[in-house]
This record gives sequence, structure tokens and C-alpha cells, in this order.
Amino acid sequence: MGSEARKRSREKLREQREKEKRAAKRNRTLIVVGAAVAVVVLVVGIGYAILNSDRSDGYDGPIAAQTLQDDGSVVMAEEGVSAPVVEVYADYQCPACRQFELLNGDVLKEQAAEGNAVVHFRPVSIFAQQPTPISSNSLRAGAAARAAADHGVFVDYNDTLFENQPAEGREGFSVSDLKEWFRETDATDDQAGEFDERIDAEDAVVTEFTEDFLPALTADATEQIGEANIGTMVLTDLIAWGADNGHDPSFLEGTYTGEIIDATGTAYTRYSGENEFRGTPSVYINGELLDNNTAMTARGLTEAIASAGDGEVDTRPMGEDDGGEAE
Amino acid sequence: MTDTNDGYPAPAPQPPTRWETVQPWITLACRVGLAAVLITAAVTKFPPALSVQAVEAYDLFPTEVAQLIGYTLPLFELALALLLLAGLATRYVGAASALLMVVFIAGIVSAMVRGLNIDCGCFGGGGQVDPGETTYGLSIARDIAFAAMGAFAAIWPRSPFALDRALGLFR
Repeated sequence: MGSEARKRSREKLREQREKEKRAAKRNRTLIVVGAAVAVVVLVVGIGYAILNSDRSDGYDGPIAAQTLQDDGSVVMAEEGVSAPVVEVYADYQCPACRQFELLNGDVLKEQAAEGNAVVHFRPVSIFAQQPTPISSNSLRAGAAARAAADHGVFVDYNDTLFENQPAEGREGFSVSDLKEWFRETDATDDQAGEFDERIDAEDAVVTEFTEDFLPALTADATEQIGEANIGTMVLTDLIAWGADNGHDPSFLEGTYTGEIIDATGTAYTRYSGENEFRGTPSVYINGELLDNNTAMTARGLTEAIASAGDGEVDTRPMGEDDGGEAE
Repeated sequence: MTDTNDGYPAPAPQPPTRWETVQPWITLACRVGLAAVLITAAVTKFPPALSVQAVEAYDLFPTEVAQLIGYTLPLFELALALLLLAGLATRYVGAASALLMVVFIAGIVSAMVRGLNIDCGCFGGGGQVDPGETTYGLSIARDIAFAAMGAFAAIWPRSPFALDRALGLFR
């Protein structure tokens, strides 16, 4: 064997070793990356399973009695039951309210039907002063929910509104949709006719309010009392100021649009300190504001209801004449 | 440590340069810092119902997809954080983190361009804010810094206290 041949074979051996080394490194990298991917899959998979277990299984059972209250809110509870009072403040245009409804709407129905809770739905319109169509969507939907409450179908209608919530800043809750959704609650023709009439009237009020009344009032108030002051004012206070300064709000009287604006103003003054109403969704049990971890998880809300004592509803049922046309 | 040269031609295994000494510690700092950021981001996104709402505010995905992202994104962030802390597959996890930040930046820019007034929901929160209260610039700058940390770990993955070392990678 010549030295030339020996050299070649040595060369080959070295190449072989290099190759093996590279392959080993590739394998190590593959193993490490594989392990990392496994960690990601495990963490995401197990975490997702845990988070998902918090979603309620849904509730299709009977819905507890719905009683319209004198301020336009609705109490859902079994007759004569004593239980913790769960107040739910929501704006139909508020995305987080929609998430609350999707997550815990069925929990509330089930708890009320089983007599574990008295659920007090208190629709508000915190977006009434936002630009249109955010403000008009919010008000029109609120008025429609109130009109549905006249016919005892608030809870269903409330669900439908949240399921069909328009993206913020998009037109939505159109008059024709609102009417259509009411028919889906098995309303009679008479009821549908009454509802339609109401919606048309409210739509006109909402348009006047958001497109004429409020912009004029805001411009005037900005000039006279300053933007900073208006920023701290609740809408109802601003309207009261306007009433004394040439902006007649009487077109709101007796309307559901006016009623939800009033209900929103009242919400800001109903609680104090830590429990102060600041925005939506706000969920209270016996007058105590729940934090997000409690209100926005099914387990949190269920446990909070289970551990609370009996409460009192702070409104009265609407009078026997069921004053839809409150004057 | 200082680089000394005793005047003779350098022997075969050269003493480490200043960069070679410092770089692993910078990478370690990037790993730990980015992990802290990701853990904070994941934890503040709880509960998932609110995280879903923050995703929906971008108005980019259908409801079901937004729901899925809202639930899994915080978990993915958490997983990346754990891997960074452990120092497993540092190069690839660093790259994935940097890429995630680039995706976030793209989302924020798209919201900005479309004239949305939303909170980025980066660390909880999210959803609509008043027109004057958006902080897109700050959010983007922050995400660029985080992306740079990820990229550093991806380009120079060698660092102390890493599982990679024990497994014979990036020694």
C-alpha cells in the first residue's frame, strides 16, 4: 500500500468523522427543538383544557319569572324566592358585556331557575355620549330591550342583542333587525305591531338625541362651562344643565331612550366607595361590586353566588297597569 | 476580565475576547427579561373572557378565531417564557418570541391605519378607548425592544444557566 493510498484513506476517515459529528449535532438540535415544541404543546393544551373547563355547559332549561321594574330594569327570579341579588349592568354596544353574557348568561339563568339567585338585569347606556353609530346603537338596543320587557321576553331578547352586537363603530341594531328579532320570540301579531310602533318612535328619538340635541348641547356646554368640566359630568347632569340653558329635553320624556339615560345616571350615584359604578359590565352581589376574576369566570360567579346571603331588590315591580306608556 | 497579551504570538486556544465573555451574560439577561415580560403579559390577560374581547377589538378575526386566540395566546406566551427561563432551544425560542412581537406590531399598525381607537391589550385591558387615549407609538416601541431581545438570543444563543448547555447545544 502506497503512502498515497494511506493518505486517501485517512482523509476519508476524517471526512467520515466530520460527517458523524455534524449528524450528531443535527440530532441534538432536533431533540432540543422537539422538546421545546412538546413543552409549548403541553402548556397550551393543558392550559386550554383548564380554562375551557370554566365555561358553563350551557343551559336550556326553563327561565325563571321575569318581572319588569318601575325603573325599566328586569328581575329574573323564581316566585317568592329569597336569595342573593345579582345585579348586572350592561350596555348592548359594550364588547366586554357581550363576553360576560356569552360566558355567564347561562350561569345566571340556571342559578335563577334553581332559586339560588335573584338576577336583576339593569341595562344602561354608558356609550350614549360616544360618536354615532356607537351611541345610537347603544341607545336603540337599550330601548328595544325595554320594549321587549313589556312583552315578558326581556331575557331572550337580551341574549339576541348580545349575540348580534355590531363591532364598535359599525352600524348595527337596525330597526328592521330589532323588529325581526322580536318576532323570533314567538310574539303574536298584536304584540309585534305594538313593538314595531315603539321601535319606530324610539328610533326617531335616538336620532334626534344623537344627531341634533346632544351635539348642540355639548357644543354650548363646552363654550360655557369648559370641556374639562363636561368630562366630569354624568350625561343626566349635562342634560339638566341644558334644560336650564335653552336645550329642552322634553322629547325624551316617557320614552325608553330617556329611561335608559336616566337609569345610567342613577347607576353612577347608587353605590359609593369601592363599589362605585364606573363602567360596564358591572356585576354586584347584594350591592357589592365583583372584581373581573369573579364576574368574568363561570366558577368565580357561581362561587360568589353560593357564598352570599339573601339580598333585597332595590326597585319595585312596575304597577299593575304595566305602564308601558309611562307618563 | 481583561484581555492581556504578553507580547508573544497567541497560543492555539486564544483567550476569549471581551465580546465572548460578555455576550453569554447579555443573552441571559435577554432570556430572563423577555420571560418576565411574557409572564406579565400572560397573567394580566386573565380572565380569558376579557382577553377575547381585547382580540375582538382588533376587528380582524371571526368570532370563533378571536375566541381561540383569546384563550390560547396567553398560554403560548407563558410557554415561551418557561422555555426562555429554562434555556431550552434558546435560538429557536428567541426567534419565535421575536416573531410573535413582529406579529403584535403588525396588529397594532393595522389598528392604527384603520383608525381604530383601541388599547393594544398587550398587558390585559384592551378594547375601545377614547380617541385621544390611544398609545400605539408607545406599544410599538415597546414591542420593538422586546423583539430585539428575542433576536439577540436567537443570534447569540450561548448563555449560562441553560438546559441547552447540558444537552450539548450552544456551548
